[in-house]
Amino acid sequence: MQLNQIEEKIMAKKKSSRTIVGTPLTPVLLGELKALGKLPQTPADFKPDGNWVNSYRICTCHGYRESGNQDVGSLRIERLADRANETFTLKVNQRINQTDGLTNIVDVVVKCRNNQLASPTQWEVSSRFIGADGREIAKLQSKDSSATTESVGRKTSDWCLFELVQRLKFDKSIDLAFELLEGLSIAKQDQRLKYRGAETAKLGDRQARLHCFSQIGRGILPTEYWLDDNHRLLIVCSMNKAYILSRPGK
Amino acid sequence: MEKSKTTQQSANLVSRRNFLKLGGSAVAILSGCTFNQRTQASRRTGRPKPNNIVLIITDQQHIDTIAAGGCRHVQTPALDSLKISGVSFTQSYTANPLCSPARSAVFTGRTSSEAHVHINGRPIRSDIPNLGQWFSQHTDYETFYAGKWHLPRTYTSNIPGFEVIHTGIGGFGYLCDTAMSRACEGFLRNRSKGQPFLLVASFMQPHDICEWLRLNMDNPPKLRYPELAGELPELPHNFEYDKNEPASIKQRRRGCEPAKGGWSKEHWRYYRWSYYRNIENLDAEIGRILRALADYGYTDDTLIVFISDHGEGMGHHKMVRKSSPYNEASRVPLLFSWPGHIIENKTDMVHLASGMDIMPTLCDYASIKSPANMRGISLRSILEGDSGPSHEFVVTEVNSNTGRMLRTNRYKYIVYVDDPVEQLFDMNNDPGETKNLSSNSRYASILADHRKMLKDWEHRLDVQPNIPHADVWRSMG
Repeated sequence: MQLNQIEEKIMAKKKSSRTIVGTPLTPVLLGELKALGKLPQTPADFKPDGNWVNSYRICTCHGYRESGNQDVGSLRIERLADRANETFTLKVNQRINQTDGLTNIVDVVVKCRNNQLASPTQWEVSSRFIGADGREIAKLQSKDSSATTESVGRKTSDWCLFELVQRLKFDKSIDLAFELLEGLSIAKQDQRLKYRGAETAKLGDRQARLHCFSQIGRGILPTEYWLDDNHRLLIVCSMNKAYILSRPGK
Repeated sequence: MEKSKTTQQSANLVSRRNFLKLGGSAVAILSGCTFNQRTQASRRTGRPKPNNIVLIITDQQHIDTIAAGGCRHVQTPALDSLKISGVSFTQSYTANPLCSPARSAVFTGRTSSEAHVHINGRPIRSDIPNLGQWFSQHTDYETFYAGKWHLPRTYTSNIPGFEVIHTGIGGFGYLCDTAMSRACEGFLRNRSKGQPFLLVASFMQPHDICEWLRLNMDNPPKLRYPELAGELPELPHNFEYDKNEPASIKQRRRGCEPAKGGWSKEHWRYYRWSYYRNIENLDAEIGRILRALADYGYTDDTLIVFISDHGEGMGHHKMVRKSSPYNEASRVPLLFSWPGHIIENKTDMVHLASGMDIMPTLCDYASIKSPANMRGISLRSILEGDSGPSHEFVVTEVNSNTGRMLRTNRYKYIVYVDDPVEQLFDMNNDPGETKNLSSNSRYASILADHRKMLKDWEHRLDVQPNIPHADVWRSMG
C-alpha cells in the first residue's frame, strides 16, 4: 500500500469516529457541547432601554460533537441613552480571529432612533486588521460613515437587533417586517422577526426559562435570539455560529 | 429594459456615504461604456491588456444560482451585474468536483492528477507553476491572494507567488467572508493607482451548507419555521434517478446526511431553501468588492473573472455536496467581465469550458505565454466574439482519481476504475442525466468514440506514478 493511501485510511478513520450533531444550534445543544460556560446573572435593575453593556463570545460549531467547536472572536455592545430618550447610541466592538494570528476589528458608533426597530440614523464604521505581531495593517483599513434623512423607513442593522429584541414584549403577536442593513453596509430584504415562545433550558448549573425570537430573511440563515425573563439577550444562534453572553454588563 | 433591471438589482449594494441617496447614478457598477466604442478602440491598438485582474472564486456553488441567469429562488444583485456586463458559460465544468483538486486545476491549467492533488489537502506539484508564480515571473502585475487556498492548507499566510491577505476561518464562510471582503475593500481603497495587480478573492461560501448538513441531518418532526412552508423551493425534476449507477456514486449517496437522517421531501426542500440563503449571503460580500472596484475607479480597466471550484448536489439525483460527476456537482458558474472588451450580457450555451481554462485565459489577457502542457485553452476569442480554439470535449476527474467524466457537446460519459457500470447520457434529450444509454446497442459506437477520446486524453497527461490508479488510466482501453 502506498504512503498516501495509508494517510487517507488514517484520515477516514479519524473522520468516522466523530459524531454528527444532527440538529440546529439551540441553548440546550450548546450546553451539551459545553459551549455555554457560566452565563452571567442579569442584574435585577437591568433596563433594556437604559444604559448597559453586553459582551459576547462568538463560538462556532463544525457540526461534530467532539471537535471543531471553538471561540473565534467577541462582540461588545454598549448602549447609551440620550437625555430626551428619543435616540440612543450603540458602541460596538467586534473582533474576529482569522488565520495565523490575524484579527479583524470592526468598531462602530451608531445613533439610533428609540423606536421599535432601533432605526439607525447616523453611523461610523471602521474595519482594521491587526497582524500576529500586534501591528495594524494599514493597507487593509476601511472606514464608512453615513447619515440618513428623517425617513429611515423600516430599516435596522444586525447590531441594532441585539438591542431592539431586548425591548420587545414576549408576545406571539410580535411579527416585525424590515430591511436589514448588515454591518451597516449591505442591504438584505424581506426580513421578519417573530416571537416564538419560551423554553426551559439548563444554563450551566441552573434551569432557566428562555424566550426566543427568530429572524428569517434574504441573505441570512434563520437566526434565533434567546433572552431571559428580564429581557436580557443571552444567546444568539445562527446556523453554525453562536453569540454567548460572556460577562455581566455594567 | 436591461439597464433598468441592473439598476434595480444593484440597489442592494449600499453606498458607503448615504444609503438613502442610492439611485441609478450610483449603481452603474459595470456598465460604464458601450461595447462598440471600446471594441473599436481595441481593434485600433491590437490586443489590449487590462490594467488589473480580479479573480473571484466561490466554494461549492451550483451553476443555477444567479437570478439574472434564471434562478427565481434567489436575489443576487452582484452576480447579476457581473453576468449582465459580460459573458457567462452554461457548459462550464470543474476539473474535479472537490475543493483542493479543483483549485489545483484552476491555478495551474493542468489536471488535478497531474498537479498531484487528487484529494483535499495536498500541495501542488513543485515543478508545476501556479498562477501567482507565473505572473510574478513573467508580468508586471503584483499578485495578491485573499481568502481560501486549500493547497494544502485551507487558509494560510504563505502561498507561493502571492502576497497573502490571510483572512479566513476554516469552515465558517458566514464569518470569514465578511472579513475577506472588507480586507479587499481596504486593499482597493488604500492602494495607490498605477502598478497593475492580480487579486484573487476566494470566498468560503456557499460551502457553509456542509456545516448545515451536519447541523440538520436528523429529519425534524416538523418544519422548525412553519411560516416558510409556502416558500420552500420545489424538488428538482431529477430528484429521482436511474438506479443503474456505478457503485461509487451509490456509496456516496448512502454515506450522506439525507440517507442517514431519513429526510422527508419537506426537509429536502428546506435544505434547498437554506442553500439559496447562503448564496445570497455570498452575493452580498461579492457586492462589497464590486462596489469598492467602482468606488475607487478600477471598474473600466479591470478584468473580472468569476468561477466556483465545484458545484453542489442540491437534491438532484437525491445527492448533496460534491464529488459526483453529475452536472450539479461538476458544472460551475463561470463569468468574465471587462467593460468594452468582453461581449456584454452574453450567455454562451454552446462552448464547453473547464476550470483548467482560467490559467491560459489570464495569461492570454496578460499578453504572456502560458506555462507548458496546458490542458485548458484560452477563452479570449470566445469572450470577444472572434473565432478561435474551442474544446471538443472536457474531462473531469472524480473521487480520489477513481473516476472520469468526459463531456462532449452532445453526450456525457462516466467511468470508474474497477466498475463494470459505465454511464452515457444524451445531454440534449436528457439534461437531468436520468437515462443511462451505455447498455443500449444503438449507442455502441458513440460509447466507443467517447472511450477512445478519454483514452487519448489520458495518454497525453503527465501524471506521476505514485498517484493512485495512475497506471490504470494511462493503460486504459
